[in-house]
Amino acid sequence: MTGGPLLEVRGLGKRFGGLVAVEDLTFAVSEGSVTGVIGPNGAGKSTLIGLLGGALQPTGGTIALAGQDITELPAPERARLGIGRTYQIPRPFLDMTVDENLEVAQTASRLRLHRVAARARRGEILEGCGLGESRNWPARRLPLLRRKRLEVARALALEPQLLLLDEVGAGLVDGEVTELVDLIRAIALRKTTILIVEHVLRIVRECCTRLVVLNLGRKLADGRPAEILASDEVAAVYLGTAHRPATGSYPAPAAGAAPESPPDNPPVVAGAALACLVGGAGDRVGEGLPLLRLDRVSASYGQVPALREISLSVAPGEVVAVLGANGAGKTSLADVISGSLASRSGIIELAGTRITGLRADQIAALGIAHCMEGRRIFADLSVEQNLLIAARRAAPAASSMRLEAIYALFPVLAERRAAPGTSLSGGQQQMLAISRALMARPRLVIFDEISLGLAPIVIDRLYEALAGLRRAGLTMLIVEQDVDRALEIADRAYVLEHGTVALEGDAHAIRGDARLRHLYIGMAD
Amino acid sequence: MEAIASSLASGFLLGGIFALTALGLSLVLGVLRLVNLAHGDLLVIGAYAGYFLLTVTGIDPLLGLPLIALALALLAAPLYHFLIRPLMGRGVEAPMMTMFGVSIVLQNLFVVGFSANTRSIETGYSTSSLTVGPATVGWIYVIGFAISVATVVAAHLVVTRTSFGRDLRACAHDSVAAAVIGVNVGRVRMLTFAAGAACTAAGGTLMGLAFSFTPSSGAGFLLNSFAVVVLGGLGSILGTLVAGITIGVLQSLGGVLLGDGYRDLVALVVFLAALIIRPQGLMSMRR
Amino acid sequence: MAATFTEHGRATTRRGLLLTAGGLVVALAACAAAPLYFGDYETQILFRFLVGLVLAEAWNLMAGYTGLVSLGTSSAVGLGGYVLIGLLNHSALPLGLVLVVAAVAGAVLAATAAPGLMRLRGLYFTVGTLALAEALRLVMINAERFGGASGLFLDREPPVQSELLWIATGLLAATWLVLLLADGSRLSVLLRAVRDDEDVAAQLGVRSYRVKLAVFAAASALMAAAGGVQALKLGAIEPYGMFGLRWSIDALSMVIIGGLGQRAGPVVGAAVVVISAELLADYPEAHLALTGVLLIVMMRFAPRGLVGLGADIWARRRLMRGVAS
Repeated sequence: MTGGPLLEVRGLGKRFGGLVAVEDLTFAVSEGSVTGVIGPNGAGKSTLIGLLGGALQPTGGTIALAGQDITELPAPERARLGIGRTYQIPRPFLDMTVDENLEVAQTASRLRLHRVAARARRGEILEGCGLGESRNWPARRLPLLRRKRLEVARALALEPQLLLLDEVGAGLVDGEVTELVDLIRAIALRKTTILIVEHVLRIVRECCTRLVVLNLGRKLADGRPAEILASDEVAAVYLGTAHRPATGSYPAPAAGAAPESPPDNPPVVAGAALACLVGGAGDRVGEGLPLLRLDRVSASYGQVPALREISLSVAPGEVVAVLGANGAGKTSLADVISGSLASRSGIIELAGTRITGLRADQIAALGIAHCMEGRRIFADLSVEQNLLIAARRAAPAASSMRLEAIYALFPVLAERRAAPGTSLSGGQQQMLAISRALMARPRLVIFDEISLGLAPIVIDRLYEALAGLRRAGLTMLIVEQDVDRALEIADRAYVLEHGTVALEGDAHAIRGDARLRHLYIGMAD
Repeated sequence: MEAIASSLASGFLLGGIFALTALGLSLVLGVLRLVNLAHGDLLVIGAYAGYFLLTVTGIDPLLGLPLIALALALLAAPLYHFLIRPLMGRGVEAPMMTMFGVSIVLQNLFVVGFSANTRSIETGYSTSSLTVGPATVGWIYVIGFAISVATVVAAHLVVTRTSFGRDLRACAHDSVAAAVIGVNVGRVRMLTFAAGAACTAAGGTLMGLAFSFTPSSGAGFLLNSFAVVVLGGLGSILGTLVAGITIGVLQSLGGVLLGDGYRDLVALVVFLAALIIRPQGLMSMRR
Repeated sequence: MAATFTEHGRATTRRGLLLTAGGLVVALAACAAAPLYFGDYETQILFRFLVGLVLAEAWNLMAGYTGLVSLGTSSAVGLGGYVLIGLLNHSALPLGLVLVVAAVAGAVLAATAAPGLMRLRGLYFTVGTLALAEALRLVMINAERFGGASGLFLDREPPVQSELLWIATGLLAATWLVLLLADGSRLSVLLRAVRDDEDVAAQLGVRSYRVKLAVFAAASALMAAAGGVQALKLGAIEPYGMFGLRWSIDALSMVIIGGLGQRAGPVVGAAVVVISAELLADYPEAHLALTGVLLIVMMRFAPRGLVGLGADIWARRRLMRGVAS
């Protein structure tokens, strides 16, 4: 069934500035196999697809296809050699028909098919992908699932030797996943070698003949799917328990990975010192009234629905975790609350005042701070300026008091106060992002994925700070992929799936709920 | 020898004025991601404003500079509100083409309103000159240089030292993140556009004092400003000053070596070369 | 780009392609026969329309089909004009061949500038083309060998009105042939792929640099030939006019008013611009100002131009009728 290696990756590395996305990665994919690449958010999976497809140039290592070194080849040449890829968020040519989307790949490919033969072949591919009847539709009219199928169909029109599938399962409901599994199996039957980067483990389990597990840009494990998925070590990486000494076998963070300074001795910051960062003292007056309330809120990115009728509430002083797999809608939820994504319907209230439809800066002025995913530090501003810009309408005395509290919380920021914000290491940037959110003296802070891509020891440090803020009475909404971390600090939790609330309740209860693991690892069939 | 020294000195001083003329273009490009193709025509407005201020009211254009700047800022604000703002978020082409339309309209309004005649602003200092060592330069170059450098340095201080400047830099780098921490991005953009227009108008008046101009001088002015912006690096105001002076001196050198007709060509060649050699310098402001 | 610059359909069937080609042939024949039923005045306006249409079609091929927004139309126009006058004055080549050489010169100019300009994406390409045009104009103003600021004269009688019209009609025929090739062949999907999403196109094996270069060269060739025809009519050229921004304004405004990326956009836009210019012939500035206003209004309210607007209204009407019945 499987032959020699079609793809050989040796010592592959990719850095973005100081950030290491992929480090010293070596593996081979044998001809005719279906290889899965899994790992938590920020493990470097999508970077790997970019490196293999030629959209990104590696900073080290080599890639060979069927014995030929293709490391230096640009994307079009790799496509002509027979590497087809899909995008995680579908990128069809919207103004073309479905059929024309495939025609692009055929016209550009090395195979010079005759017009009639090409047309027939497109028909075959589209039928195989379940797009037969939408062949002449404008791609713009396709719903998400069909756009994902179109991604696959378009890559197949290249007649690839190697097909790279980037998170084709993200955001699909179970029935749709079943259809996708059937499609991938059918493609594999035609002897196409497939590499799947995937979060939905069900797809991986049902399609792959081999699995590679990535964590923090490095290979953690490599082997048969059944063994890998049964391993506690892998489960730990997913649920975020990897930093617990109990699991033992977790490798130390890569030397030379994100250059972190050694963690300074965690200072003991008294709750009182942080009080000046916690706003909304009056919010506690009306006990029982929620500080934040969402009532059947829906939102979408263009055509792609992100949130479907979500209802949620946060009481004053409460810490609420928002969990869910990649693509479940966690970040969309954070964006809708802070006003950076417009809601389609539903009501959002802050302490009884309707904030739906307000501009992001108006919402910020009302007391919601949003520590966005990806840190979003202003490169042109120094560390201190990054902080001061968020202390809007505060008297100079108040600003400097808050600065002092921040510097007590994260002393490393005080040391680097004059440095440009983006010259910091990943962990320090995250501290800065957290601090910037606090400088507004907010009534409610949304922390979005603050642990993403960071070493466990740094995450410890961040969560210590959050615990201190919790003691000081700060109301927090924590969006987190690291389930354990979030549930440890939270009072209550919501678990999202496909943009809806799949599970909600007391943090302890959620932690013990068998459905939680299923929602992540996808045993729920 | 003296001719060369004078020419280089004039080029140096003129370069300072170039920096001021490019300032508005640079700010608007950095903060709004807008290629203001009407920038040259805003400069021409500044020149006409200086001309008519002098000929109609007799007020010296230099004294009237703040008035001219204020008037243009007040004109620019509605321009932003009605023409640019609705197109934000629809890509870079739509607002750029809109400003091209504005440029065409302005140019032809100049012809209709002020005739196609070549004009120059005649003042006492626009004809007299100053001699230092071997170099003789027009007084207007000296005064213009002083005003321009002062304005550019002031703009630099505003952008780097004030809270508005902080907001401006945050918007330029990441407008979504800026909005989320409470910056009113729309307001920052409008103020930047208006302030940029004010600087542009002042620069235009100085250009009108230093050179003669016609209704169609805008295209040349625009490209000259663009050359300064590209060479100086987007987002760097002091870089703009250095680039302006460099281009001023290179132009003079070109004029001395190749003949006067090649002066303007030098700036364009420098511009094209800078665009092609260091596009990464250009992209540095883009996310 | 994709946000404002929207779809252009394509003759997907052979039959559709044949019908289109047939219609174009009839239109060309009507143009060629115009001196039979038009007076001098109308023939002259038709000539202006034809030259403008060639420029607009070429500009649309770049901006509308491939996403290359240029403000450097005059580089090619001016070059074509100078090549034509120079060769007619100093060589014994027949006129037809001279026009071909002018077109080739346009293509060579594009190919020479491409390694620099094509590295610039989006708005930097646009500004780069503007700078190139302005630089060429300054070079020609200073180049005494090519007549400097006062320009060159054609040292023979220009062809008569009807001959000029036939030449322009022939050029339009060549232009439409190029467009049919770009639009009707398999190449069409490559152009649109590059325009809509260059990164994705690359992942599908499209060598986008070559595609863009081919389009840039073809469009420049057509523009240079149009410049040659215009120079032939004028009989005398100078750098301010031949390399003037006016050509860019014309081509761009015709396409945007008519409908960017729309197959019929240039024809409609050229008609609007040429006719309005004629109606306001005594007030050329008013006409240009009006063009500018139209440009602003179109960008804001009808990014697909008059053709797109018409299509929308037509679709809405049919829908209404459908609801009523």
